[in-house]
Amino acid sequence: MKLEIGNFYVKDIVFGNELSFKDGILTVEKDEALKFILEDDRITEAELYIAKPGDKIRMCPVKEAIEPRTRLDGRGLFPGYTSELAPAGNGVLHALKNCSVLVVGKHWGGFQDGIIDMSGEGQKLTYFGQLNNIVLVADTNEEFERYEQQKKNDALRRAGHKLAEYIGTCVKELKPEDTDVYETTPMIKRGTEIEKLPSVVYVMQPQSQMEAMGYNDLVYGWDTNHMLPTVMSPTEILDGAIVSGSFMPVSSKWSTYDMQNTPNLRALMDAHGKTINFLGVIMSNLNVALEQKERAALYVAQIAKSLGADGAVVAEEGYGNPDADFVGCLVALEDAGVKTVGVTNESTGRDGHGQPLVTLDEKCDAIVSCGNVGELIELPPMETVLGELQALARDGNSGGWDYDEILGPSVREDGSIILENNGVFCGDQVAGWSPKQMMEF
Amino acid sequence: MKKVILYVNQFFGQIGGEDKAGIEPEIHEGQIGPAMQFAKELSGIAEVTHTIICGDNYMGSNTDEAVETILGMLEGKEMDMFLAGPAFQAGRYTVACGTICKAVKEKYGVPVVTSMNEETPGVDMFKKDMYILKGGNIASKMRKDVKAMANVAKKILAGEPVGPADEEGYFARGIRHQAWRKDGKPASERMMEMLVKKLNGEPFVSELPIPKIDRVPIAPAITNLGEARIALLNTGGIVPVDNPDRIQSASATRWGRYDISGDKVLKGGEYKTIHAGFDPAAADADPNVITPVDALKELLKEGVYGSLHPYFYTTVGTGTTESEAARMAKEIIPFLQEDHVDGCILVST
Repeated sequence: MKLEIGNFYVKDIVFGNELSFKDGILTVEKDEALKFILEDDRITEAELYIAKPGDKIRMCPVKEAIEPRTRLDGRGLFPGYTSELAPAGNGVLHALKNCSVLVVGKHWGGFQDGIIDMSGEGQKLTYFGQLNNIVLVADTNEEFERYEQQKKNDALRRAGHKLAEYIGTCVKELKPEDTDVYETTPMIKRGTEIEKLPSVVYVMQPQSQMEAMGYNDLVYGWDTNHMLPTVMSPTEILDGAIVSGSFMPVSSKWSTYDMQNTPNLRALMDAHGKTINFLGVIMSNLNVALEQKERAALYVAQIAKSLGADGAVVAEEGYGNPDADFVGCLVALEDAGVKTVGVTNESTGRDGHGQPLVTLDEKCDAIVSCGNVGELIELPPMETVLGELQALARDGNSGGWDYDEILGPSVREDGSIILENNGVFCGDQVAGWSPKQMMEF
Repeated sequence: MKKVILYVNQFFGQIGGEDKAGIEPEIHEGQIGPAMQFAKELSGIAEVTHTIICGDNYMGSNTDEAVETILGMLEGKEMDMFLAGPAFQAGRYTVACGTICKAVKEKYGVPVVTSMNEETPGVDMFKKDMYILKGGNIASKMRKDVKAMANVAKKILAGEPVGPADEEGYFARGIRHQAWRKDGKPASERMMEMLVKKLNGEPFVSELPIPKIDRVPIAPAITNLGEARIALLNTGGIVPVDNPDRIQSASATRWGRYDISGDKVLKGGEYKTIHAGFDPAAADADPNVITPVDALKELLKEGVYGSLHPYFYTTVGTGTTESEAARMAKEIIPFLQEDHVDGCILVST
């Protein structure tokens, strides 16, 4: 399979008379874009903003991030989700780089939403602090979940995906600055030069914990809770076959932007033919029932073994309950003779004394560890807030609280905030961005 | 100017060698031995006001008396920090430094810093209690070891955060936090490097060394259930609808207990779950699915067990650290012991 991504590097974003991209400047015609968003009659109010690195902007509650792109063959960006079901992973894409579409609730947040700061101490807490962002701030008529702590955020998330695709169209006819080519060949027909290298699979454990539909990550529009581990091509992952959900404490989340760019995957593809023979992806999940965890681990180990994998990398989108899937999968692979590296975050608590993962096993001897969900973070007031800051304290955010006898509420009167890393949008970057590492103190 | 007091043994206190190892503690104003270099390293930030000297044998064989005497000497002294050593590879001296630092920290609440070689018994005994710098094995490393201690001391005295163990050169204290790598190397690159090393059988360093898991032995069975007093606890977040104890929906640090004495029942609308890690619909409709007060009262009537503790206890398990859970358990246990509870039913979700 061959996926070509033509890159258009965004240096600045402005509002103007016409949606266009020229000399690194992305111009968005605001009224047209808003009209497009309001075509979904569930969206009751919408506004667009620009948030760039260094801007004195705090966003809360952030729900999703998507890289604006367009497919040259007319196929939709997210097959089975916002467009007709069609194969992903082949063909030509144009992408606006260093740029994301962010979706922010105008008022209401929940367990699974988060904050992003574009400057100051908080900027480095998430990858999106360093991107040029087009920010959709909107409200919906989804009354059934307005006061629910767990929100599907369906209208807003879909609006974000559609907006990313809408904005991406401006580079459809243009010539990219450069092009990344991701090409895979059939696993068993790679020739002796490649096949003498140790072969490796990448095991993805996307979020699938919610039994009710509408919250989990989707693969070709299919709820990951309802699937068994299967083989996928890395190019499918990079081409919108998987979209992010709305469930996990948000520092553990892989946004759709993270999926589209999965750094771990690109590092493995880059090493292919040099130090490893990268076989491909085993798409697993993180279901809650023990039997489902064990079944998934069993499938992953069997597939890895059947493919002849010498090594594997397992990455989990979550912590706590999903640690059982993560450790179970690592152990199953090691037991099958597959040398495995895990990528995860930890929950050692505010004082750093807690057990790092819910369950541990001595066979997990090679782990890359990207952050502590319980890390206490204090950030000064920010000049501009997009959305509603109170959502962090009021709406049951996994990293916020409305009352604490020692720390006070998460959101203070002066606009400064105190929260757990749990509430930082995609903060732990287990998909591979993370410059953070867990260290001993 | 901050004030620091240093502890050294008879040798570094310039009293004598092994023949003087039995001397009792003494306190001197000003700086003796290594205290002079500490004074230089800390100049402008802190002064070393006193030096305490004690024989290693005296500290080793009369520990309680030695500690008590030294704590007494410190009474009423202005002190922002207490230092001991560096102790190098001298076994008894390292234990003495750890012992006295721990006691001073507990009694006076001041930060303590010491230094010892990794081959000494003091390291494992005390590394979780204080900053112990990784020291040299011989006294000729004095300058280097004092400097390393002073670097950490300066940060603490200035109220600056002390960096990770590897960066600052102290023994890890069993505390793990996220930190930004100096080289900014992203997780994907670290993953690739670790993977290739593991595949090629080369040594690599995991970022998560697997700690020993605390296993709690299973309690012996209740021999006479018919007379046993039973308590009900849960981590499923069942609370009165107004959540009076404001227990958090995830990463809980709080717990509550709620009256179920007499003919009290749990009804949907009066009780609910505030746990954010599962679909709450079933538990909100009927809290008994998590805290089965209805079944327990029925079984009580039937005489299956002796009596029911009049409260149920609630916290939330999702995201809650093992250390916070252990603390909450320690707070709850006295209530159960006071009421002579024989057995607990702990429901998760």
